[in-house]
Amino acid sequence: MSTPAIHATGLRKQFRQSDGTPLVAVDDVDLTIQPGEIVAFLGPNGAGKTTTVDMLLGLTRPDAGTVEVYGMEPGAAIRAGRVSAVMQTGGLLRDFTVEETVRAIAALHGRTDRVDAVIERARLTELAGRRVEACSGGEQQRLKFALALVPDPDLVILDEPTTGMDTGARQEFWQTMRADAALGRTIVFATHYLAEADEFAERTVLMSRGRIVHDAPTADVRAAYGGRTVTFRPPPDVVGADGIDAAWLQRVEQVLAPLGVTGLEVSAASLEAAFLALTAEAPAGSTELIGAAR
Amino acid sequence: MSGTASTGAYTAADVVVRPAPRPAMLTYARLDLRRQLRDRFGMFFVVGLPTFMYLVFGLGSDDAVGSGNVAMYVMISMASYGAVTATTGVAGSAATEQVMGWGRQLGLTPMRPLAFVAAKAGIAMAVAAVPVTLIFVIGAATGARGSWSDWVLAAAVVWFGSALFAIYGLAICLVFRGSNAPGIASGMIVVMAFLGNVFTPMDGLMLDLGRLTPLYGYAALARYPLTEGWLPVGGQDPLWLPVANVLAWTVIFSLLAMWGVRRTRART
Repeated sequence: MSTPAIHATGLRKQFRQSDGTPLVAVDDVDLTIQPGEIVAFLGPNGAGKTTTVDMLLGLTRPDAGTVEVYGMEPGAAIRAGRVSAVMQTGGLLRDFTVEETVRAIAALHGRTDRVDAVIERARLTELAGRRVEACSGGEQQRLKFALALVPDPDLVILDEPTTGMDTGARQEFWQTMRADAALGRTIVFATHYLAEADEFAERTVLMSRGRIVHDAPTADVRAAYGGRTVTFRPPPDVVGADGIDAAWLQRVEQVLAPLGVTGLEVSAASLEAAFLALTAEAPAGSTELIGAAR
Repeated sequence: MSGTASTGAYTAADVVVRPAPRPAMLTYARLDLRRQLRDRFGMFFVVGLPTFMYLVFGLGSDDAVGSGNVAMYVMISMASYGAVTATTGVAGSAATEQVMGWGRQLGLTPMRPLAFVAAKAGIAMAVAAVPVTLIFVIGAATGARGSWSDWVLAAAVVWFGSALFAIYGLAICLVFRGSNAPGIASGMIVVMAFLGNVFTPMDGLMLDLGRLTPLYGYAALARYPLTEGWLPVGGQDPLWLPVANVLAWTVIFSLLAMWGVRRTRART
């Protein structure tokens, strides 16, 4: 085996909340990622994804545990240009133009030769002369991606990279990423969009409340969830102000049971909710009607 | 790469020793300086306002002051206002950039924090040189008069002394975090310039209070070669007074900045 891209053991980080009570953001996380892997960190907001990313990048010091990136301490890996990141909380200077931003960061990496290449790769050529403040959220996100590519890193860590992008921009972004992954870059990304993990990652690490609750090939994770969701509209007379009539749901379940349908669930149709159901540690095959009373 | 020595087999990527890239700090500083200089709003207060004030209050005022004239006195005062507005703005925005997320972007580059501080200090002094040069040149061309040593010493004190207000800008922006903090810091400079006897000569109680404010010592020192401490309203400040003022405020601003840095660190 070669040196893992990321090797973290026993990572733990605790913050003090504004009211003084401690909050364990990341709790005993072990993670090994091999070169060339594409891994999704999936979890709802507050699951500890960003804190984990910060520790992998050496921007936050863990309270306990160790992190090695290509066998090095994270700071050394960054200085060597082997790891780079698109951070959720990373900021841009609004009065730089797109090209100046890339030039400035390229200068600090000592890689001014990479400016044109990364601008093209992030499809920013048309926007090169535009001020950052005039760019949309999605365009700024692409600029941050360009900055991450400047050192030509072996590993790119992306924290919620498609924030602020509409569906079209999101699709395009992942196409760019796919092209990059094909060149052999190791890619780790944090997301709360189930679909992004599903489409793009070979391996999915599920995080919930600071812990890794599932770490498997994405196909297995999908299988655990049931692959596809079927939704249908109930007749209007069973929908009251306090949700769907429980007796009616009971009947639906009885009718569907012979077809092998289990886990009938009524909830707001969001991936966030779907994910929460998945990480709620409900026993497999449970017929409990989650949210029936809602 | 010593950490990988025990694993035995290497992939190609492990063996290839990358050329260690060196941060091109000068390129970064040049880009950043250009960005600061084209900020029209900021540069209005750094260059436009003090130049305008010199033209209004100083131009053609040939009454004698010390070894020169009133035009010279006003020229030095206005140049010092422009210079401190420059250093306050650059240092303040540097702190704000760090807090608002650009610092995290920079944290992913091989640049050392000390190199960043050095680059920003250089930029601050470069921007401060703009109003000093411009207003001194206009002054020289429009009848400001003084001995040659007045010109040299005043320019040196105005320019180097403005560094004190870089510490002030840093302190204010670390304490009042947020994107409008540099604006607050620069706005307070205007108030302190009035209190500090920079814009208009004061007397009585206001002058007594003003002597304790941060800009008083710095501006009085810059004018000292010309005035030897004599005030427009009569009376003379001993040299130790502006010196003590500058030293005291250097200590206060430094402590405030260190407290601000500690507070920023405590969050992560």
